Amino acid sequence: MNRTKIAVLCCVTAFVAANAGVPASTGLGAGTDAVNERKLAQITPGKSTKAQVKALLGTPWRVVQFNDCGEAMPGQSDETWDYRGRDAGGTFRVHIEFDDGGVAHLIAKVPDIVTGNKGTTATIAPNETMASMRMP
Amino acid sequence: MLTRTLSRFAVGVGVCGVLSLAAATHVFAQVYPPYGPDIPVITNTEPASGAYNEDRAREPAPNPWNEESIWNMKVEGFNDNQARPIYQPLVVNQNGREILYLGNLAGTALNPLTGAQESNGTSIVDVTNVKKPKFLFHIPGPAPIAGSFAAAGAQMARVCGGNTLPNASANGTAGHWYLLRAFGNAGADESHQIWDVTEPSSPKFVTTVLSHLSNTHKSWWECDTGIAYLVAGSKADGWQQSGSTQHLYIYDLSNPAKPVFIRQFGLVGQQPTAPVATAQPCTTAPSDTCYEGTTNPPAGIHGPISMGTAVDRVYMPYGVSAEGVIQIDDRLKLINGCHTSGPGGNPNASRNCANSPTQADLLWPQVSWITMNPENGGHSSMPIFNVPIPEEQTNYLNGQPQSKSLLFVSSEGTANNCFGQAPHEAWILDISSETTPWPIATLNVPQFPGNFCGKGARFGAHAVTEAIYPPYYGKIISVSWFNAGVRVWDIRDPKNPKPVAYYIQAPNANTESSCSTINGATNCFNATMNDYVEYDDRGYIYAADRAGTGVTILSLTGEALQAILPPSE
Repeated sequence: MNRTKIAVLCCVTAFVAANAGVPASTGLGAGTDAVNERKLAQITPGKSTKAQVKALLGTPWRVVQFNDCGEAMPGQSDETWDYRGRDAGGTFRVHIEFDDGGVAHLIAKVPDIVTGNKGTTATIAPNETMASMRMP
Repeated sequence: MLTRTLSRFAVGVGVCGVLSLAAATHVFAQVYPPYGPDIPVITNTEPASGAYNEDRAREPAPNPWNEESIWNMKVEGFNDNQARPIYQPLVVNQNGREILYLGNLAGTALNPLTGAQESNGTSIVDVTNVKKPKFLFHIPGPAPIAGSFAAAGAQMARVCGGNTLPNASANGTAGHWYLLRAFGNAGADESHQIWDVTEPSSPKFVTTVLSHLSNTHKSWWECDTGIAYLVAGSKADGWQQSGSTQHLYIYDLSNPAKPVFIRQFGLVGQQPTAPVATAQPCTTAPSDTCYEGTTNPPAGIHGPISMGTAVDRVYMPYGVSAEGVIQIDDRLKLINGCHTSGPGGNPNASRNCANSPTQADLLWPQVSWITMNPENGGHSSMPIFNVPIPEEQTNYLNGQPQSKSLLFVSSEGTANNCFGQAPHEAWILDISSETTPWPIATLNVPQFPGNFCGKGARFGAHAVTEAIYPPYYGKIISVSWFNAGVRVWDIRDPKNPKPVAYYIQAPNANTESSCSTINGATNCFNATMNDYVEYDDRGYIYAADRAGTGVTILSLTGEALQAILPPSE
């Protein structure tokens, strides 16, 4: 086997290994390179607009808006942009929620796999108005 | 004899058996509503004590939040629906092909079949082989308006065969299949549309039934008559509702290419001329200007269910998640009540009955209504008729078992983390005396075990299954319970329904996170949300996820399977 073949084989193997366990439709790759800590740090909840986020991270992998015959609770129907990425901890989604004015008010880097009964900490705008509650 | 033979087979080989049992009724399934006029007949196969005192295993506690939990069910297949969040699944047997239609909530995602980001619309999946569902086509939804998806999505889907629709030859519908879907949720272009889905992998647009709508939602289409009950609102039509601004637009879609408007309809107090500022509740101050229910104007309708020509009744849930009213209407009077003569006609119908009815016009088809606790609303109201209750007799002297007609009602839990809401549940109403519906049991999923209020996303009831065929009819019922998954009850003893199966899908890489702030800390959770659970005519069960996790195809096992088989087997 010559060096070229070895190099191609290594690349293919690395690609397959890197994508193992990722559903086909995740679109991993589209925008993945654009998602890194340096760029995420430039998104400021309460300030960053859709246009600014798009200029920074590109077209989102997915947009979700849970509009359901007017029955959504405050904040629940916010438009959410998802980006996909991968780091040393594995694959993750960057979850950005926008308010009605098109300003990001919540951002979280959520691992695809979270074990146990746990959530992932999010960063919110200082004047956050999303539903919140206090428990005893 | 055939059924008994197949039942024995089912006991012997479990899932394969029950699917074979269902297969025996396969070709007949589409004679039932909404496809045909027949109502399934429930055969009493229970001993004298019925299902009342059967030994049952205790319901097991679910696994940790990020794992699958499954009890008396088996996963048969899966499709990721291109990571789109699903509102409603519908499985239709199209000439032997089992086609799954998925109405999606708003947003965008990549369609690998086209290579394009497409606004969420209607997904079409061939599930003939449940082990290998094949995604055939995605009909895009409306584009965002001014950059916002608030008006987008295509949540609802109904399908009728052209051969079943009336006047098939004259209308040229013979051999065709038609999809009725909602197109968007608000804005000038939001509408109900018809598509020709004869070849599900290449749907063709037929027509727009009605446009300039808001809040399009859960419609119903009687395939054997063509009558469609479209749910939507409009800023221009003058109707008045609290909460979700929806009422009915009734059409004759027997020729899908040429919709014929029949009338608009809603609860008393919602009509354009209702004096909302001064109206008093009909319960305590009945008059010709009152309103029904606990709020003024009454909350909008969610999704009517017609039992067609055989029963001649339409069951209407209002309120969705609060201020609920359940209404039973005379179908013929509803359809023809704005005519002054003919079957169901109202000699005193007002001149503007079709678009701006009087209170008397709205009362003409009303058989009864029952007001819910205002912290709950009417989301679903699915009837099941003549359920035998062998352990209760109509008369001790004749020994005849009781037989009850039931209405399964649910209220939608709409808050993440149960925030600010009482539990939303489902109930069984006795409608044997249809002028006096009365609740006889509650279908409930407790917060514990599972700590579902802390899990993220919504917890509570959502929708009652609507596609219920033999052998499940009258034996089991399913309710989607958001982050607590698919829930199945044994209803053979409907006064004491028993939990018999559940399925909580594990989150995957496509699961949209739900975020909330508790005690000052904001966290996002990968929680699945079962939005709807529906059956096909082979007995497979479809769990559709609202959080983008896909659709899972299930079968029954264990005691859930036993519940639909004769105990003597």
